[in-house]
Amino acid sequence: MSVSVPEPLRYADRPEWNDVAPVEQYENVNPLAPIFYTNEYKDATDYFRGIIKTGEKSQRVLQLTEHIIRLNPAHYTAWQYRYETLLAIEANLEDELRLMDELAITYLKTYQVWHHRRLLMLQIRKPAPELVFIARTFQVDPKNYHTWSYRQWLLAYFNDANLWIGELDFVEELLNDDIRNNSAWHHRFFTVWQSGVREGEEDRERVLRRELIYVKQSISLAPNNASAWNYLRGILDHNSIPYQKMITFVQPYTLLLDEQVADLVDLENPPPSKSAHLPCASAIEFLADIYEAEGGNSMLKATELWKSLGNEHDISRKKYWEYRIREGLRAIQT
Amino acid sequence: MSFELNSLLVSLHVTYIQNLGKNKDDLTYHLTAHLRMNAIYWGLTALCTMNHREALDRNEMIEYVMSCWDEETGGFGAHPDHDAHILSTLSAIQILITQDAIDILDIDRVAKFILSLQQPSGVFAGDSFGEVDTRFSYIAVNALSLLGRLGDLDVEKTVAYIVQCRNFDGGFGSRIGAESHASQAFVCCAALTILDRLDEVDAPTLSWWLAERQLPNGGLNGRPEKLEDVCYSFWVLASLSMLKKVHYIDSGKLTSFILSAQDPEGGGIADRPGDMPDVFHTHFGLAGLSILGYPGLVDLDPVYCMPAALIEKMGLRKGWQALERRAS
Repeated sequence: MSVSVPEPLRYADRPEWNDVAPVEQYENVNPLAPIFYTNEYKDATDYFRGIIKTGEKSQRVLQLTEHIIRLNPAHYTAWQYRYETLLAIEANLEDELRLMDELAITYLKTYQVWHHRRLLMLQIRKPAPELVFIARTFQVDPKNYHTWSYRQWLLAYFNDANLWIGELDFVEELLNDDIRNNSAWHHRFFTVWQSGVREGEEDRERVLRRELIYVKQSISLAPNNASAWNYLRGILDHNSIPYQKMITFVQPYTLLLDEQVADLVDLENPPPSKSAHLPCASAIEFLADIYEAEGGNSMLKATELWKSLGNEHDISRKKYWEYRIREGLRAIQT
Repeated sequence: MSFELNSLLVSLHVTYIQNLGKNKDDLTYHLTAHLRMNAIYWGLTALCTMNHREALDRNEMIEYVMSCWDEETGGFGAHPDHDAHILSTLSAIQILITQDAIDILDIDRVAKFILSLQQPSGVFAGDSFGEVDTRFSYIAVNALSLLGRLGDLDVEKTVAYIVQCRNFDGGFGSRIGAESHASQAFVCCAALTILDRLDEVDAPTLSWWLAERQLPNGGLNGRPEKLEDVCYSFWVLASLSMLKKVHYIDSGKLTSFILSAQDPEGGGIADRPGDMPDVFHTHFGLAGLSILGYPGLVDLDPVYCMPAALIEKMGLRKGWQALERRAS
């Protein structure tokens, strides 16, 4: 059921705005940039230009910029001027943050919404509730690039052990919701490997074992997941571990379901789940890389695997696999 | 759409671009005022790619560009009265160069404006508001190069930041620590290419990561498990062309995908088949087709995303490879 909302009173008709001279948008006869406004937007931006001209910074400027932002969240000048006004009139920034909570959900994909929060945070300096707020927005859009970037900035900028302490659990929750969330996998890498060593994480061997078990179990549950395989490669590269060490784990994923032999539960080498779609292209790629690194006769095994990818298991990238085969055969000859 | 779209509807797209400024009833048109300068660059370059540069009036365009000059800062805003921003400043420069009108520009002031946006960390901000992004690093490098002022840039500092944005999967993000994204891979590769530092890229891993962007429907996405979008036809392909690996992508399938995203009634190209077209996707779809060697199109320089002949004439061509232009 829709409710018809009456258009708000124009600024031109409000007595409390009488003292402001509205400035019309530059009217260019150039047909490349013809202007057409709804009356509401035209009226609001006319008065905004009037305010900028006099340099007014006041409570009513906050009302006006909020109005414009709600109509057009990408109007970056309005955001900028709003921020300057907040500081100039010494407004309560935490109230501003609560207002932003409402706007953020509606305008998630707009960069300005997040940058404004960043600026507010630099003043307010209470990052912990922000992490909670961000977690809420992820329920709506768990892969939002701006939001993840903002979360990273918060963690890195304040770099407080109390902020980091729940981060791994947070990432795991998101991965439980969607094991294919590439942003979450990336954030895991950032949290574990790229943000320093925190208390309790000093035993890097233990951390490595934990992460390897985690990614292998994730692959076991859903093998056709590029993000998980990228994460595995990332850990190995970061810790200078040859891919060859994973051969026992990877091999079952390159076979068909009825070719599986492992019966025992092996934490180091969790097998593909019964519902997995096998063989898994990413596993074949991985195994081929192992053979390629071995060189010599193993290169032929690699080219066989690449052929199977190009012809059957990853047809989208047939041209790419043909290229790898050519390069591989050339390497054998030299 | 139930019928096959298997050829490029050039004249429809030309008309589409010409009509862009004429939708007086379109609220969306003015709500996107903050993109206006970029939109004109996208429209102009798309016309150049289709060999129809003259379809938009040159003088009117130059007049518009100069009306966006922000005398106070020495940059260009997206629209008259809008604050200067690095995004619109690059578009303004590209438009003026493409229209052979760069002489009216106060190059000293513009270069100074751009250089003023570099942060202590080496990255560039977009404007005084403070948003930083490797996109802006590329824009600064591109713009300074076009203005012949690359010598004023602290190259080491600029490169050092970009290199720190290299992720474990070979890709690049918008800031240090940010997730790999195809559009960020493009800006980082292009910036490094212009600065002759492409060796900082882990070429095999990045090329493979870019190849992985192709989906079974032929379209390209921006990161794993996301939807295909026509604009990635440029971000991904341009990166691969700098790495000399365009053949990693199935060009037949990608070509079909881009063509199927055309609007056969009003012209223009959308982000994916069935959606509304816009000038952004029209430009990048055509750019992708050009790199793929689609017949009848003009060569585009993938580093600067401008006509290749123009960039070559300026002595700025770098070592990239596109697919050969097909005869038909």
